[in-house]
Amino acid sequence: MQMMAQVLSHVPAHPFNDVAGWIEQTAVLPLLYRAGLMQWSELSFGWTLVAVYGITQMILAYAVCVPLERFHPLERWTTSKPVLVDVFYTFLARVGVLPIMTFVLFYAAQVQLDGFLADRGYVPPMLETIIPALFGHPVVTFALYALILDFTDYWRHRLSHRFSIWYALHAVHHAQRQMTFWSDDRNHVIDEVLSFLWFMLIGLLIGIPPLQFPLLILMLRFVESLSHANTTLSFGKIGDRLLVSPRFHRTHHGILAAGQKSCNYGAVFPLWDIIFKTADFARPPTPTGDPTAPEAMATGTYLAQQWSGIAHTVRALRG
Amino acid sequence: MTGPASLPRRTLFAAPALLALPTRARAASAAQPPIAIVLNSGGATVSVIDMTTRKILRDEPTFREPSHWALTPDHKKLLIADSSGNALFFLDPATGTELGHKLIPDPYQLWFSPDGTYLTITCLRLNHVDVYHAASLTLAHRFKLGSMPSHLSYTPDSRTVFVSMQDSGTLVAIDLANMTPRWTTKVGKTPAGVMWHDGVVLTAIMGSDHVAVLDPATGRITRTILTDKGAHNIFLTPDRTQLYVTNRVAGSLTVLDARTLGFVKRIAMPGGPDDLCFAPDGKLWIALRFASRVAVHDPVTGATDHISVGRSPHGIFISTLLTDRPALAAMRLA
Ligand SMILES: [Zn+2]
Ligand SMILES: [Zn+2]
Repeated sequence: MQMMAQVLSHVPAHPFNDVAGWIEQTAVLPLLYRAGLMQWSELSFGWTLVAVYGITQMILAYAVCVPLERFHPLERWTTSKPVLVDVFYTFLARVGVLPIMTFVLFYAAQVQLDGFLADRGYVPPMLETIIPALFGHPVVTFALYALILDFTDYWRHRLSHRFSIWYALHAVHHAQRQMTFWSDDRNHVIDEVLSFLWFMLIGLLIGIPPLQFPLLILMLRFVESLSHANTTLSFGKIGDRLLVSPRFHRTHHGILAAGQKSCNYGAVFPLWDIIFKTADFARPPTPTGDPTAPEAMATGTYLAQQWSGIAHTVRALRG
Repeated sequence: MTGPASLPRRTLFAAPALLALPTRARAASAAQPPIAIVLNSGGATVSVIDMTTRKILRDEPTFREPSHWALTPDHKKLLIADSSGNALFFLDPATGTELGHKLIPDPYQLWFSPDGTYLTITCLRLNHVDVYHAASLTLAHRFKLGSMPSHLSYTPDSRTVFVSMQDSGTLVAIDLANMTPRWTTKVGKTPAGVMWHDGVVLTAIMGSDHVAVLDPATGRITRTILTDKGAHNIFLTPDRTQLYVTNRVAGSLTVLDARTLGFVKRIAMPGGPDDLCFAPDGKLWIALRFASRVAVHDPVTGATDHISVGRSPHGIFISTLLTDRPALAAMRLA
């Protein structure tokens, strides 16, 4: 322990690596060793890092959004009880079982596809091999990955509103009438699985971005959390067009934008809404929620919301 | 990520200038200060460290996950295996300058056969062992003999290659003359490092706390040597008197007598010790996976210094090896 402290007393050039490394050595590795799962020790450091990013992201969002929502709220509520379930959603999505399952599933799928290609003499494509000039410019590469992933996410989100069966699941995200920064991860499990499959398809086509830029990853996720905050904050006339602001995304969550006729689908960059003419910067803030969603979906427990999403989908299927 | 990563990259425009001055460039590389090349598997870079000042000179980019290295038989190129980046990178081993790359599936650990005929590569993720013709880097044979092939070692006659299967818990012997598997032995949970040593095969059992000793002809386990939790890889000192075993879970090195395989001492080395190299001054340069650092350990005084590198440093190469025949021979690269 003392020697570990000695090691870490060196200039903490990489605080994320150091924290993740410490957790890996003191908790994850001994656990894997005892469970006889050491063959996963290589990958486990990746999971640990993702969990550390997730926790940091939550702390960051909490530190910025709580004061914003307290001192510059858009809506004032008598009870904050409906918000609690969103907190649960966030923990589940960021540090719970979901990220680990995502990791394992993606790994398994990638092994299958890469193995299939390797046996036919190919290696899977990657943005850096599709555009060789990117090699050696990691920040540009990362930015391009972020843009492409955000672009494809725009279309995933837009399609999830377009098809009534899919929207019946996505309605869980829209049902919240007391929207806060915790609402970002409020999604139906099946909707999450669909997003995951979507992301995996893109990942298999262009590779997944390297994880070496924790701050950039945190910034992107932070924008998504912040965009749900209950605050009057806007980034100004130009800023609102560069990054998705709470004002921009609140319009998407407005009661008038629920369901098939919606706007402002972008998660990080409003660019796609501008290009494909789905942006609305003018609409004044309206209450959020989906008036057509069952009440259980808005104020029920986690399980009630999940069940309600399935029932809603079955109804949509029957027309 | 680390150090002067923001330094301007060499551009295409610089290339003609380098070509025009071949003699000067050669002279410069001969006078190169010794460097350590550290493979940051989680940072997608290779850190080039000045061994004298212990400062990072620069980071060379890779695609995703540089894991292990191999030196070409003519010692002119250092091959870096980028496993999830599906590529082999070629570096000048004296300067760390990148010379290009070749796309191949999932290279994890790799060594050339002692006679220089083959390059065997384990594909840990894709579960195959690929044997390439060393000269052309074309695939000679693909073996699917177990889950998560990890490390490998050859017999001195280059006839057989031994590969540990991390997930299957086996050690496999492959006959390279006939390109057929010879035997498979259950050796324990998560075998990692493999080493031909003095007529036997050693493999470190990472899911346990020992090194298994096998008869290379039959694959029978003849002995187990207790080291420490998470025994990972094995290295012979240049004077050939001792073996160093890195223990990843315990965070230690176990020193064994090279002749008797008896216990000599335990050295605390927290941070997830992985690969290591012996420098001519007797110091050990050790990659610490989870500390994002390289440890420089003096076995005489017991003192350890640390150098911050990128995330999850895995393989490490030092350029002094190029002129240090005993050290090269101990790694069976001479
Ligand atoms: Zn929506
Ligand atoms: Zn939303």
